Amino acid sequence: MCVYKSFFLLVCSLLLSGSLALYSTNSNANSDDSTNTAASLDKEIQSLKQQVLALNRSLFMLEEELLFPSNTQIAVFVSIDIGYFFSLDSVQLKIDNKVISNYLYTQREVKALHRGGVQRLYMGNIKSGEHELVAIFTGKGPNGRDYRRGTELVVNKNLGAMFIELKIVDNENSKQPDFSIKEWE
Amino acid sequence: MLQGSSCKYVSLILLFFCSQLISARDNPPSSVKDLQYGEVLFYYYQQDYFNSIVRLEIAQQQEHLSNHKDEAELMLGGLVLSYGMRDKARLIFQQLLDDQHIDLSIHNRAWLYLAKISYQRGDLSGALDATEKINGKMTPATYTATANLKSLLLMEEGRNSEAIEVLKKTRSNKHWTPYLKYNLGIAQIRNGNSNEGERNLESAGKSGGFTSEQRLLRDKANLALGYSYLQKGVVDKSRQALEKVRFEGPLSNKALLGTGWADADAGQFAQALVPWTELSTRNIADPAVQEALLAVPYAMVKMELYGQAVQHYKEGISALNDEKRQLDISINAIQNGELLRSLEQSDPRTGHGWRQQLTIDTDSPILHYQVRLMASHDFQEGIKNYRDLLFLRRNLDEWATSIAAYEDALAIRESRSQSHLPGVDHVQIANTLETLRQRHAALTNTVTSVESTGNSIGLANAVETQQLQTLSGIEKQLANLPDTPEIRNLRDKQKFLNGIIYWQVDNEYRQRLGKTRLLLSELETLIQQTGMVIGNQEPEDIKTPAGFPGFQKQLSIQKTALKQLQTRTADASMAQGALLEQLAVNELEGQKKRIDTYIVQARYALAQTYDSLLNNPTDAVVR
Repeated sequence: MCVYKSFFLLVCSLLLSGSLALYSTNSNANSDDSTNTAASLDKEIQSLKQQVLALNRSLFMLEEELLFPSNTQIAVFVSIDIGYFFSLDSVQLKIDNKVISNYLYTQREVKALHRGGVQRLYMGNIKSGEHELVAIFTGKGPNGRDYRRGTELVVNKNLGAMFIELKIVDNENSKQPDFSIKEWE
Repeated sequence: MLQGSSCKYVSLILLFFCSQLISARDNPPSSVKDLQYGEVLFYYYQQDYFNSIVRLEIAQQQEHLSNHKDEAELMLGGLVLSYGMRDKARLIFQQLLDDQHIDLSIHNRAWLYLAKISYQRGDLSGALDATEKINGKMTPATYTATANLKSLLLMEEGRNSEAIEVLKKTRSNKHWTPYLKYNLGIAQIRNGNSNEGERNLESAGKSGGFTSEQRLLRDKANLALGYSYLQKGVVDKSRQALEKVRFEGPLSNKALLGTGWADADAGQFAQALVPWTELSTRNIADPAVQEALLAVPYAMVKMELYGQAVQHYKEGISALNDEKRQLDISINAIQNGELLRSLEQSDPRTGHGWRQQLTIDTDSPILHYQVRLMASHDFQEGIKNYRDLLFLRRNLDEWATSIAAYEDALAIRESRSQSHLPGVDHVQIANTLETLRQRHAALTNTVTSVESTGNSIGLANAVETQQLQTLSGIEKQLANLPDTPEIRNLRDKQKFLNGIIYWQVDNEYRQRLGKTRLLLSELETLIQQTGMVIGNQEPEDIKTPAGFPGFQKQLSIQKTALKQLQTRTADASMAQGALLEQLAVNELEGQKKRIDTYIVQARYALAQTYDSLLNNPTDAVVR
């Protein structure tokens, strides 16, 4: 065989001979220093990630306490159950006839919703007492037709945070999507 | 090192692919019973591990995951592992396994994760021990993933026959089957059972290519099959297998090189020139192309086309020298910070961890070698760590801005509160205290009057007072009625009941008077103490006990922690950047050395060809 058949022979041997571990070990023996540096840096990066995560957790909670105290807090979530009959593009949310959120979804977000994810659409403050929530969904309905549908609910805000879920559910009987608003206890 | 790491990376791709399947099919529940758990899934399904972890930990702390407690902990372990925090993940899984009453499904999945962590650390025996702990009834996804991981571990330890045994016993769905067959085929060939191995590779090479991963696996199987046949000298079958590798796929260069060698081994040099010539026109950064530059004139020499061979050797040497210069330019660019600048300009996205797509999207000289560099596992890990650090730095910078804004907002609110509220609060507090003092004085006067006049009814309690008022009302109504025997009887009853109450109060006069005096004294002390406490406190504290100072203190603590983390992250970025540059330079220097070897071999072959040409002057003109 030709002397410069080296790359070809290497590919053959690595694919089939099982010399993988030995080859890696020999290669690494020449770079002990960089391996040690990489290992200690990896430890430090793991530690940094953990601490930055903890800091984010603390700051998000502090932010929530500061900006959205529980006696006035309202959080609105969006979920999709199955979703064969409706492809979501956007949601508009109104509280007491005032638009408080207009959200346009990315394909990635819609996929996450279809797989069971629940999106926190809005977090804000409302006074105690009765409020009217209206959600308007736009997207593609059955047969790819443009679809725009609204749903509403009157809620009574008491002390304590209020959690609301905007649900899009396939209705197998009508072959249409159903839209609803649910208050979580 | 490059090829070794590259091949190891192939195994890791398989492992990660497996883990993705487990994650996708095994972990999440069918229905979300807590909204906040669904929110975690929303980020998780977008592979945003950072925000998934933050949301999950917040929900746990706020006790919003009562319906997903163990599941959430297992998920947290998986998320932190995906985010490259192996130590923390190991701790979470071990804590889960310490629970004696853990659900079997969670027990098995925790051990599977621990096995992966050990594998990633290079602790093969630890990983194998962990897979042994997985037992009992399990989901098909956990079963297949366990078998696949175990077989990979055994193969890496050179225990191919055991790996074969595991893979043969494993039943999987049609999605997994090609991957298991590929591994089985490789293990069998390594174990010397080449016929069986080739059959399995052939089967994996015919699998449906619906996704890019499946098409890549099909190419790998056909490439391995082609090289296996070639090593045995079965040229026709080798060529057939190699020709099935996609012409535009990432393994095309290796396949073309192998096809050429299959033809050359069969003595069909003219036929070998077809794939090699095609290969020699491709990107010279690939070692397969570099080898083709010398393989083409080699075939020509064998065909006694010495003049053309000399020309191709010269062109090849020239191209290889150009490539060396290009490598030098890239090495200089890397050493001048071009690689790190490219990475910093790209979007690290949000906490996508180890599985994020890695690309260098610039026209920098490094782009030329991107594919080669990315084939190195160490380099990939280095890039991921560097990008994670970039994300952490941006995250900390954003929080620093937010904290400053919150501090400003708090200061404004506090100042507004100080300028408006104190007066209002003091007036309200003063009024309340004054009212209390007045009522206390009135009660004291009443008691004194009772004592001085001996009118004991002033010491009647609330019930007695109410009863007396009712009886008084009845008395008035009876007075307006005619004087009949029945009415007289009722008037007597009213007087009797009235008398009972008077007698009752009078009978307990001394005790009641003493007790009332004591209560008035205690009340006076309490009013005085309240006045003193209020006098010593700021109005904001009285209004909201956990108000401004509480928030400001918390913000101050977090700000200090944030500053320390910013410094540490910047230091770690610098160190990681230097390490990454070193890895890249080492890789490119390695390529230069290989090119040097090719050049030496080419010059030697060129000299030999000149000799042959001199002995065969009828060949084409030498330029």
